[in-house]
Amino acid sequence: MVQAYTILDRMYTRPRAVGHLDADCFYVSAERVRDPFLKGKAVGVLGNQGACVIAKSYEMKAAGVKTGEPIWEAVQKCPEGIYIKRDFHWYEALSKSMLEVMRRLSGHVEYYSIDEFFFVAEPRPGQSFQDLAMSMRDTILAELDVPVTVGIARSRTLAKLISDSAKPFGAKAVLTKDDEESLLAALPVTEISGVAKRRANRLLPWGIASCLDLARADRALVRKLLTSTGEALWWELNGEPSGVIHSERPRHKALSRGGSLGESTDDPYRLHAWLVRNLERLIEELHYHKVMPGKLTLWVGYRDGESGEGHARLAVPTDRFDLLLESLRPCLRQAWRRGHLASRMHLIAEDLADSHSAQISLFEPSSPRADALAQVKTQINQRIGRFAVRSGATLPLTDIYTDGANNYDICDVRGKICF
Amino acid sequence: MSVGVALALSDLPVVMQRHPEIIRRIYERGGEPEVRFMYDDRQPVLPVWKDGGLDLVWWGNARGRSRCLPRTGWTWKSTVEQGGWGGSTPGLVRIPAALGLEKGIWYRVRQGMHGLLVADEQGRDTVYMICEPSSHYYQVMTRSNRMPALLDEQI
Repeated sequence: MVQAYTILDRMYTRPRAVGHLDADCFYVSAERVRDPFLKGKAVGVLGNQGACVIAKSYEMKAAGVKTGEPIWEAVQKCPEGIYIKRDFHWYEALSKSMLEVMRRLSGHVEYYSIDEFFFVAEPRPGQSFQDLAMSMRDTILAELDVPVTVGIARSRTLAKLISDSAKPFGAKAVLTKDDEESLLAALPVTEISGVAKRRANRLLPWGIASCLDLARADRALVRKLLTSTGEALWWELNGEPSGVIHSERPRHKALSRGGSLGESTDDPYRLHAWLVRNLERLIEELHYHKVMPGKLTLWVGYRDGESGEGHARLAVPTDRFDLLLESLRPCLRQAWRRGHLASRMHLIAEDLADSHSAQISLFEPSSPRADALAQVKTQINQRIGRFAVRSGATLPLTDIYTDGANNYDICDVRGKICF
Repeated sequence: MSVGVALALSDLPVVMQRHPEIIRRIYERGGEPEVRFMYDDRQPVLPVWKDGGLDLVWWGNARGRSRCLPRTGWTWKSTVEQGGWGGSTPGLVRIPAALGLEKGIWYRVRQGMHGLLVADEQGRDTVYMICEPSSHYYQVMTRSNRMPALLDEQI
């Protein structure tokens, strides 16, 4: 039943398992923490543009509103609902408070996402896993007023399936084979994180529809159908953890910045402005992680479903604004589709080299002026506020900068494993 | 703009809670009673902070009750700032609100809205909700090109 994590861990004799703690409708719960008026009411948190429901309370869910639904459809289903603008600064503060409490309750905690944590579950002597799950749930509620659900099992995937099925405000430990099978039999494979409709369709001709079907399927077949990722899930469903709990976030292989463009546009000046905005955000991240990219990708998504990409390989890794922008301009030309309305953009930095040990080019002249300018810009923004000083090329996006809520996004919450 | 505002019943003074004009405006949301002040009510009123207390006053002049006041419930902030109401000896007031309503969408308001208090020809207090051009977010959310000027808040 108990899975060891390291050689040292194997020396422990205390029973251990894997836990998953997930905040219930986190953004709404976070709003309720600072605004008790919202408790018990149907609440929808809207994305930055105000167009879509990105999180909803259970009361709103009961009315049929789905995450991602446009507000105009949501209001038809739930006319008494209250709509709120999202505030990632506040959600991050609360999320980090949850992480602090979690670290007190468990020796190994993984900050998986803004509202999810994996942990090594180690009950105290005399305490059962079920007691531990309930105690953690109740502690978070008592200290932070955030309702959460806790699942404890032999592997991460099982723990997450348990917490997902025990929501809201549940606490459940499932550690016997019989109980696991009862749980898995009732869940379709699409409940597993990493198995969406396309993968489920690959499994269906083989009679694999439920999580239990998948757990009982031939491992080699699962590997053939779903690659090694699917095989890892197979092990997990059978109670054999295939991953460890990361107490610290592993080093990034890639960094990216971008997202929705708000109002779709075919204006090349506005697209260029978005490129510059995303680049400034990306450089912040490069500086924070003290890395420099050797490869850049610019991806643009269009409203009609098309997309375009441009790639650039840098002669030497750099984090200088002028050099990166120079490399990215041709990428934008490659990714641009004339006359098509662009709705999303992402910049991806790969082949990350450590800033201190990056190779220095013989051909790329150093620019003390550019470095000094970048330093002044960083210092002013640190003191006055993010984007207080920014490139003049972002002027076509004045509407975006005017709304302070655009200045902080979910990807700006650092330290978590998942987006 | 906002065609309605709501307040938790418990946010009103006890004496006001028993007023017939309040009682008929009580609704329940999520198990909590709230009072809704709608512009399309047969007698549209709004609560305003006046002389240190909360008072109910006429909301605009939709039904032509006054012959001298504009037949609307809103006024542009720019009009107020440019002295467009100069002749009516206006005063700025606060309209407490927990929620605003626009195009069927209830949105959260932390404190309330700015209002302009004027008197009609019979000396009766009348409040106009002060509006400004919608923020991008408000415009997308409500599809309205004007929004109330909120108290110490921007959405």
